[in-house]
Amino acid sequence: MSWRADLLAVWAVVVRNALMASRNVFFFFELLFWPIVGVISIGLMTRFLGITAAQASFVLIGTIALSIVNVCQLEVAYAVLMDVWSKSIKHQFLAPIGIRHLTLGSWLVGIVRGTALFTLLAVLAWWAFGFRALRPGAGAVAIFMLGCFLNALIVGVFVCALITLFGNRAEAFAWASVNLVLVLAGIYYPVSMLPGPAAALARAIPLTYFLDAYRSHFGFASEFTAPIATGLVLSVVYAIVGHLTFYACVQRARRTGLLLKMSE
Amino acid sequence: MRSPVASLAIEAREVAKTFRSGWLRPRLTEALRGVTLEVPRGAIVGLLGPNGAGKTTFLSILATLLIPDRGIARVLGMDVVGDSLALRRRLNLASGRPSFLWSLRVAEILDFYGRLYGLAGPALRARVDALIEEYELTEYRRVPYNELSTGLKQRVALAKSLVNDPELLFLDEPTLGLDPDVSVRVRAHIAALRRERGMTIVLTTHYMREAEELCDEVAFIKAGRILDAGTPDALKRRIGLGDVIALRLEPAPPAWLTEAPGVVRCVTADGWTKCTVDDAEKRLPDLLRQLFAEGITVRNVRVREPELEEVFVELAR
Repeated sequence: MSWRADLLAVWAVVVRNALMASRNVFFFFELLFWPIVGVISIGLMTRFLGITAAQASFVLIGTIALSIVNVCQLEVAYAVLMDVWSKSIKHQFLAPIGIRHLTLGSWLVGIVRGTALFTLLAVLAWWAFGFRALRPGAGAVAIFMLGCFLNALIVGVFVCALITLFGNRAEAFAWASVNLVLVLAGIYYPVSMLPGPAAALARAIPLTYFLDAYRSHFGFASEFTAPIATGLVLSVVYAIVGHLTFYACVQRARRTGLLLKMSE
Repeated sequence: MRSPVASLAIEAREVAKTFRSGWLRPRLTEALRGVTLEVPRGAIVGLLGPNGAGKTTFLSILATLLIPDRGIARVLGMDVVGDSLALRRRLNLASGRPSFLWSLRVAEILDFYGRLYGLAGPALRARVDALIEEYELTEYRRVPYNELSTGLKQRVALAKSLVNDPELLFLDEPTLGLDPDVSVRVRAHIAALRRERGMTIVLTTHYMREAEELCDEVAFIKAGRILDAGTPDALKRRIGLGDVIALRLEPAPPAWLTEAPGVVRCVTADGWTKCTVDDAEKRLPDLLRQLFAEGITVRNVRVREPELEEVFVELAR
């Protein structure tokens, strides 16, 4: 496949997802309502508990990260979900494109939505609770967001794989998967607080390292020696494994006939 | 000189497919039990058969949407499994129950698939405009897909299936559920595709008249096997249906009629006695003579060739 054809296929998915997002009231709730509710309720809870400003920033960073990962991973999952809902998935897989075009195109839209969401939540958290998300500087913020987006890509690709493996039954995983990250990646607490096996699992999640790196700019000692490098390496490995899994699931769906069933 | 294989659009040998369902106690359904079929380039070929015969399964394998368990299927000279990505550029499919992303508008759907097939810029715009005009969708180009009628959705599906100007087009029940006037227009479009673009078309249908009108060749599938294939006329000859002589008799038809020389069978319904004979020209004078001799009044006589539907019924028995 030529570079031009590759770019066109990715662009096709970008335009499609953006058009769908702009016309669905459901997307409004994903992008604005729930994340804003999350930041406000968590922020108010930190006030009620009377914790320090540093501790409040720790929790708010986690809340913002969770919102970004959630919005972006849903967008990646939409690469398959929207076609499953509208029973048009066979046309997508009849076209001469690879799964990378679907995931990359959707991910790019997710990045745009995630960036918009971060901006909004950063302003809200600063205005309502005095938390300055941009204080660590552009580089640190960019790496933090890259980490969030890479995690979203990984979760989204595995959700796509599950949907092509189990059909509509796996749809619930699209909405629930982010909660696993919530528990294990140290969204509201340091991963050192987790019991042994859970802490080991947390170390296998790339977001753990990006959160650790970003929080270190707010005065929290880093728990890892090279968190950014570790997070990046893990992300790349998982992204590759995720795409191979997704590809295998699509091939299996072609063998079992699930691809056709999902279009009926 | 082109080899015979190069002139084939589809060459399928002993293609088999079994579906499993259920996890604990898997149930096996043999959808295809060794289908062999050749389709010449530029032909319109119909796959006919009852529900669950395996038509859509076979079509989906040829269109690379399904991987066969056994057998070899080569489409446009390429293997449907090994060369699937390259093959997808050269074929397309439209189904009788079309479905596309609900909130996308007609032009946006064609834009999306056009880009997936490598079109961009002025070439994409020109292609989408041409298809919208060709399928009389101009006034609906900004209408969301879920607001279209069944007939319009079908036209969008056909337009989408041509977005890459395919060499081979698969149509799965292309006139299913359409009003008669829309069906006629869809059939005219299909005929024009072959006439004007030399496209090879493989279609599945329940409508025998549609197959008879459009197809150069038909293949009857039942229980995952091709029972017979050939031109509609050749099939009628091969099945040995002969001609049908329909008679309105008064009083009732005599018992000897079914035993008369050259008569294969007789069926009486709605006041008509339909006798299938080996050769109407040869048998009709004798039959009429005998009927007159017995004092039976022949109020009306019609002679016609058997329809594909009768071939279908015969094969499906």
